[in-house]
Amino acid sequence: MESVILAASECDVSEEIICAPKDVLELFFFEDALFTIGGFNFTRTVFLIFLAMFIVLGLLYFGLRKGEKVPSKFAAAIESLVTFVKEDIAIGIIGPEGVKYAPYLLAVFMFVIVGNLFEVTPLINFPITSRMAIPLFISLVTWVIFVFVGFKKNGISYLTGLIWPKSVPIALRWLVGIIEFVSTFLLRPVTLAVRLFANLVAGHLMLTLLLASGWIFISSVGDIGARAIIGLPWFVFGLGIYLFEIVVAVLQAYIITLLSAVYVQTSVHPEH
Amino acid sequence: MTPEAADVLKGAIALVGYGLAAVGPGIGIGIVVGNAIQAMARQPEAAGMARTTMFLGIAFTEALALIGFVLFFIA
Amino acid sequence: MFASATPWLLATEAAEESEGIDLLLPESSELIAGIIAFAIIFFFAWKWVFPTITKTLESRQAAIKAGFEAAEAAKVEAESLKNDYQAQLAQAREEAGRIVEEARQAGESVRAEVVARADVEAAAIKERATADMSGERDRVAASLRREVADLSLDVAEKVVGSSLDRASQQALVDRYIDELGGLGS
Repeated sequence: MESVILAASECDVSEEIICAPKDVLELFFFEDALFTIGGFNFTRTVFLIFLAMFIVLGLLYFGLRKGEKVPSKFAAAIESLVTFVKEDIAIGIIGPEGVKYAPYLLAVFMFVIVGNLFEVTPLINFPITSRMAIPLFISLVTWVIFVFVGFKKNGISYLTGLIWPKSVPIALRWLVGIIEFVSTFLLRPVTLAVRLFANLVAGHLMLTLLLASGWIFISSVGDIGARAIIGLPWFVFGLGIYLFEIVVAVLQAYIITLLSAVYVQTSVHPEH
Repeated sequence: MTPEAADVLKGAIALVGYGLAAVGPGIGIGIVVGNAIQAMARQPEAAGMARTTMFLGIAFTEALALIGFVLFFIA
Repeated sequence: MFASATPWLLATEAAEESEGIDLLLPESSELIAGIIAFAIIFFFAWKWVFPTITKTLESRQAAIKAGFEAAEAAKVEAESLKNDYQAQLAQAREEAGRIVEEARQAGESVRAEVVARADVEAAAIKERATADMSGERDRVAASLRREVADLSLDVAEKVVGSSLDRASQQALVDRYIDELGGLGS
């Protein structure tokens, strides 16, 4: 919100055709701590992280609390969400032993989907997953899980199978080994985090830029007269992106959950 | 060249770099998804496996674009 | 250029405040908050959500199964009840038929009895009437005979001109009439 106001104060509506803030990065930093506990800055983002946590806990608790024989619509929706993560993602991808990972995948899915949807929630309008902390943490946990499971299930042959693949001709083996090693141990966690993060950053930027531009132009109609019509296409375009971002928010939550499951699956059955 | 101009130029070059980095993965993802859809259409009973493999393929291909994105911010 | 020494310094400081790389590095307070929040969600999902939903689905499955079994049992019971009712209905119908038949037979016999009694009575009445009538006729015939004898005696006295021996003549006339009657009858 304050960044929108900042953009408004800096934007010269009589000269510019779109109101871009001088430094777009300030859309993502909330430096001002609401309060500080022993060096821990309780910023707006931190508040939103805990809000997302309470929303997830509330949805799951109130959806599953009663466990009625004939569930209400809300309970049925939450139940189908949980069974979707369990049956389709955990068991469907990892296999029968995937049920062990279902709680982790459910936590990832719920936390990320609520965090993503904050982007399009009125009055919040800020996806907590567009800050690197959460995507990075989740991808690191996934990395630890799949590396640990890989070594636990296959012993040292998990590593040797990756860097010295028997199915590849010997001349190319070292090259494929390096690529596999880098891609598995370095690129996987980075891309898993950056994919989510980048999508949400881009979405938040687009929304803020378009909707704020549209709003600033239209609201300053008294000062600039007919030029305020410039705001209309920005606003309409922004609303289109708004709908698109709802889809992106859900899809990215699904993809990070799915890829976490796929990565674990490749460690459980490395021959695939 | 003033430092401000150098900064602007650096930002512009980084932007071009990201644009170039996005071309390859864009084509690659198109190929991956197109072939996955063909596979699903030919063998609808194996659609689940094809979809999983498609997402994995997209993840690998997209990695390059994401690295470009990261480098754009680092530059 | 040298005049911009101070702005350059300021620019680097400003750039340090929010350099692009900062966007890619997690902020410590957000990281700590994210870890705590995620850990709480994970433990909630692990310890509460999945046990609860498993229990719910199992109990629902059991309830549906029990419902189907109860429905099956009810269906079987309804079937047997229906058979019972049908058997009872058939029995009742048979009973009714039998009762009607009995009643018809009873009616028939009562009718026959009544008719017979009526016949007997009618015959008795007829007999009595006949007897009455014949008595009457005899009586009328006797008085007629006496009358005829008297009349014939009177006529004969007129013809003869003297009184006849009433008693002996009477007997004679009577005998004659009897003969006539014997011829007539």
